[in-house]
Amino acid sequence: MQDARSIRSARFREEREKDWTRLEELVTKAERGGVQSLRFSEARDLASLYRQATTSLAIAREISLDRALLEYLEALAARAYLSVYAPQERLGGLIGRFFAKSGPQAMRRSWIFILAGFACMGLGALVGYLLYLESNDWYYVFVPSGLSGGRGPDASTAYLRSIIYDASPSAVGLGAFASYLFSHNTRIAIFVFGLGVFACVPAILLTFYNGLIFGAFLALHVDRGLGWDIGGWLSVHGVTELSAICIACGGGLQLGAAILFPGQNTRKEALRLAGRDAVKLAIVAALMLLVAALLEGFARQLIQDMPTRYVVGWGIGSLWLAWFVLVGRQS
Amino acid sequence: MTDTKPQTRRQRRAARRAEREAAAARVMPPEGVPLRLPIAGVGVRLGAQITDILITGVAAIALVILLSMLDITGPNTLSAIAALIFFTIRVPYYVMAELAWNGQTLGKKFMKIKVVAHDGGPLTTHALVLRNIMKEAEVFLPGTLILTLTQANPIASWISLAWVTMALIIPLTNPHRMRLGDMLAGTHVVFLPVPILLKDLAQAPVQATYAKKERFPFLQHHLEHYGRFELQTLEAYLRAQGRANSATMAKRNRETAATIVDRIRKKIDYAEVIDEKDHVSFLQAFYKAQRAHLEQRQLFGDRRDDKHHAAAQD
Repeated sequence: MQDARSIRSARFREEREKDWTRLEELVTKAERGGVQSLRFSEARDLASLYRQATTSLAIAREISLDRALLEYLEALAARAYLSVYAPQERLGGLIGRFFAKSGPQAMRRSWIFILAGFACMGLGALVGYLLYLESNDWYYVFVPSGLSGGRGPDASTAYLRSIIYDASPSAVGLGAFASYLFSHNTRIAIFVFGLGVFACVPAILLTFYNGLIFGAFLALHVDRGLGWDIGGWLSVHGVTELSAICIACGGGLQLGAAILFPGQNTRKEALRLAGRDAVKLAIVAALMLLVAALLEGFARQLIQDMPTRYVVGWGIGSLWLAWFVLVGRQS
Repeated sequence: MTDTKPQTRRQRRAARRAEREAAAARVMPPEGVPLRLPIAGVGVRLGAQITDILITGVAAIALVILLSMLDITGPNTLSAIAALIFFTIRVPYYVMAELAWNGQTLGKKFMKIKVVAHDGGPLTTHALVLRNIMKEAEVFLPGTLILTLTQANPIASWISLAWVTMALIIPLTNPHRMRLGDMLAGTHVVFLPVPILLKDLAQAPVQATYAKKERFPFLQHHLEHYGRFELQTLEAYLRAQGRANSATMAKRNRETAATIVDRIRKKIDYAEVIDEKDHVSFLQAFYKAQRAHLEQRQLFGDRRDDKHHAAAQD
């Protein structure tokens, strides 16, 4: 009884130790370079040695009181489990797949939420427009002073025109690009998406409010007979930017709807399922905001001609639409 | 089993919490042997997060300095550009790092933690993108808002503060310590267990015992006193024994060994007096004998958790 060789668990360990060390090596290799870096024989050994290790663990729990051994096997089996069942995903073609397939497909799947987003914005714009025509003072209620930049019912028509056709803006190029990207609209888009989780309400309100600002702003210019000019000025980037907000709102609504109407799933599970498409909508919206900031920072200063502005703005808008509608359909 | 029922309410609650945590850490692979992946706490994750912010922050600052040296932009737009650069470095950094290293950023590597899928499967791109985008919405954007908006707009600041606080509290409310992004993506963060195989104590002194067999003979009744807990405590002591690296520590170790030998001899009624130089080898021999005995009893269905096993059986 005194001889170590008579202890069953010590013999058990001695017989298998070599396999465990080999498994440890394989796991380290798989973790470092991914399972793809293993040769065929190594991958085969990894799987079978992992099964052996779990069996060893089950036996060791029964027969061994050596805590060091138990802890080692626990850790080894858990590590190997992650290598075998949760391997590294292949990264190739990730971005291409998003553009060619999953992005537009997600857009089409959640068309109803996006439509709701556009409806919120459109309704807001309509209300803002009508309210402005009723009384100029609404403008001050809706539009924060920092955003309007001196453009309001008090400003002269000439001043409004000068901003629309501004030959010497204060910031051009990269600086303008950066400041526009972090302007009001991006913030709105992010909040609209993130706050959608709270039962849709904040997303709807924020989008509606943004529509109000837009409507009042439009009405101000239409009132002064600058309707077509402001249309062109806004078209350059606005088609892309406002659509991005509506799409972000659609994503937020999707999350909120999962909270409100989880169906047969638990709310957590419903949220997880809704997140699959919502996050793609958020990426699309982010992409569009990026393009919008590029347009706002560069193209709007370069193009001073009204019809060209319309063509550029709506042309890019229809490109987006074509991407959403046509790309990634299964034959 | 002694199974002393927890008395106070607090003890009961602590026991329940420990049970919940153990259940959260348990993974059931298809092989049917439950494994343990301990859940990473909020503190560790915060540490990893701060490391990552420092890494991306330094990169962003270096780029901003480079840009200002090149004199491409005016100083008035520099802050906007800085924010843009920090943003465009930060977001792809998290996503790319977690994609490339299978759920680990550099900060997570330092802290030895890892993102795993909640269902035990592989981490999908979708999940990693989602949890990192939600990190922006949860913490970074409201955080920057708090920093940038000050007196001018107190309401927005308070709302952002409430939002960030809520986002930080959510992980504390569930046993998997999932934040909002984790819930959406179906992931949680675990400690990566490190397998270190220490040498078998029952194996180690084989040569010594061959020389002088049956040096410390233990009889059946010597070994009936202790259980698993005491055995593993002795194991921990014997393992720590080898790590004494100074004279004072060695001296303290000798004293501890003397005390333990004394206690064991008294408890098990071991008549023979042990020389001081033999203390450690006595303990090793006793460990081996006791382990052999307990493991044998266990095979026969007699699990002895600690020294109260006899009382529990009555």
